[in-house]
Amino acid sequence: MYRFVDHTAELEVELEAETAQGVLLEGLRALAELLGPAEGEVVERAVELSAGDLPALLAAWLDELLYLADVERLVPVHADLVLAGSHLTGVVQARAGEPRPLVKAVTLHRLRLRQENGGWRGRVVLDV
Amino acid sequence: MSELVRLDDTTWELPVAARDDMRVPARVFADAEILAEIEGDLALEQLQNVATLPGIVGAAIAMPDIHQGYGFPVGGIAATELPDGVVSPGGVGYDINCGVRLLALPLSEAELADRREALVHEISRSVPAAGGKETGRGLSERELDSVLREGPRALPGVRADDVERTESEGRLEGADPAAVSERARTRGRAQLGTMGSGNHFVELQMVEDVLDRPAADAFGLEGGQVTVLVHSGSRGLGHQVCTDYVRLLDTQLARYRIHLPDRQLACAPASSSEGRRYLAAMAAAANFAWANRQTIADRVRGAIGRVLGADVADETAQVYDVAHNVAKVETHGGRRVCVHRKGATRAFPAGSDEIPAPYRSVGQPVFIPGSMGTASFVLAGEPAALELSFGTTCHGAGRRLSRTAARKRVQGHELRRELESRGIVVRSPSAKGLAEEAPFAYKDVDRVVRVVERAGLARRVARLVPLGVVKG
Repeated sequence: MYRFVDHTAELEVELEAETAQGVLLEGLRALAELLGPAEGEVVERAVELSAGDLPALLAAWLDELLYLADVERLVPVHADLVLAGSHLTGVVQARAGEPRPLVKAVTLHRLRLRQENGGWRGRVVLDV
Repeated sequence: MSELVRLDDTTWELPVAARDDMRVPARVFADAEILAEIEGDLALEQLQNVATLPGIVGAAIAMPDIHQGYGFPVGGIAATELPDGVVSPGGVGYDINCGVRLLALPLSEAELADRREALVHEISRSVPAAGGKETGRGLSERELDSVLREGPRALPGVRADDVERTESEGRLEGADPAAVSERARTRGRAQLGTMGSGNHFVELQMVEDVLDRPAADAFGLEGGQVTVLVHSGSRGLGHQVCTDYVRLLDTQLARYRIHLPDRQLACAPASSSEGRRYLAAMAAAANFAWANRQTIADRVRGAIGRVLGADVADETAQVYDVAHNVAKVETHGGRRVCVHRKGATRAFPAGSDEIPAPYRSVGQPVFIPGSMGTASFVLAGEPAALELSFGTTCHGAGRRLSRTAARKRVQGHELRRELESRGIVVRSPSAKGLAEEAPFAYKDVDRVVRVVERAGLARRVARLVPLGVVKG
């Protein structure tokens, strides 16, 4: 589940799933909604990311998707991810399109990814 | 916020004792109405967070257009003492050297007459929002290196008077392309000459009112004259530079024993290897942004040439170009400081040798874009800015409503109709984006500008009103 919380000039995204990987996938879906529809063929891109901690990995993951949108004009559809500590490997499936250049960057402001009440919750603030 | 103390007509302060971790007071320029709006979000708490940065001097300062941001508030200024005060990439923001450039056409609104719509249309065809194979000005590796080092002067055929009439002549010292990551380069390579989205725009305007005749004469502006205001920044290249260095400095905080109330304030001593490397990359991104606005201005001149003739394009003069997201090393009160301006504009007074010779007797030009469809202002820097705000004034109207709140109140097509009923030609790729930038989503720019004038930071020179808007 993802939910947008709008601030004066930034966009906060709340993410919730049963696993940490699930939160990362919810982040993908939230970002895909912001980038808009894409009709091109599905292509695959390998990802491998490391960060100092899990919240920083969430930010790095969304950075990666934003980079694919900005440079390759790809809107993500799904990903198969393997998470080991704060090291992530996997494959992103994405469609070529004309992603809306709305999101500038993923900030560390109010950043969170942690286990809560038996599930996992994430939070990230995007510069738009 | 009850601890706010009123210092004078336009200045409020949260004293350093308001929070244990503050090193300096947090100070706000405002009037009572603007202050009430400011207190509606978390901007003042964010300003207090800025006041905790190691090496910060004077005060963490907010302009009347301040609003909540991520980490630093937008409309904030922090000066840190060198060599060991910190530099914070978040204190500059992702859109490094976002700024505005004003062009003055050699004709009046009456002379433009029924060619207005054609001109707006041609500008919208000439200045793309996003980069891509067919839109951005593709750069070779060597050309990109030159742009990062030299800014607009690296571009072929650039006019000397444009360069002279650009803040820092469009080139920050110390720029090092090697400090810019491959990712940042890849993002920037195809984006030179593109506007970006959000609040970026190219606006066709008219000088509605001249408020300071000698300064307007010096800036080459007169009543009724047609102008073009360009608002853009360093695009994906700058976004990536900021991302890279926020991530890097976030991992180095323990090493420098820095404790922060917000991770996005990640910083390092300006004298450290990481701090110096960020400043070198930031300068390169700032130079890229100036080259971007130069390329956009050249494209606007091209559109003017096609619609109004080559002579009109040749006689279209650049008034000035100012940055409103940047960190610069300056001397204030005898101290070398790194002035972070995030959503704030340098506004040096008359006599400063940083100002181009034709303007030196009247003060540095500053441009304050209002919200879409409302007025913009040309200001000139005043002496009190040096004493009160490290030579800085506001940068815009300042948002007051979120994008969702704006969309709930108006639909893009309604807003377009309303603007067009007032004779303003609108070109926007997205109805949604148009609604998000609705005038009521921003503070009243006249009010914001009156505060900085009353505070003595800058004075009003001219008021500009829109004739046409091309949105990113």
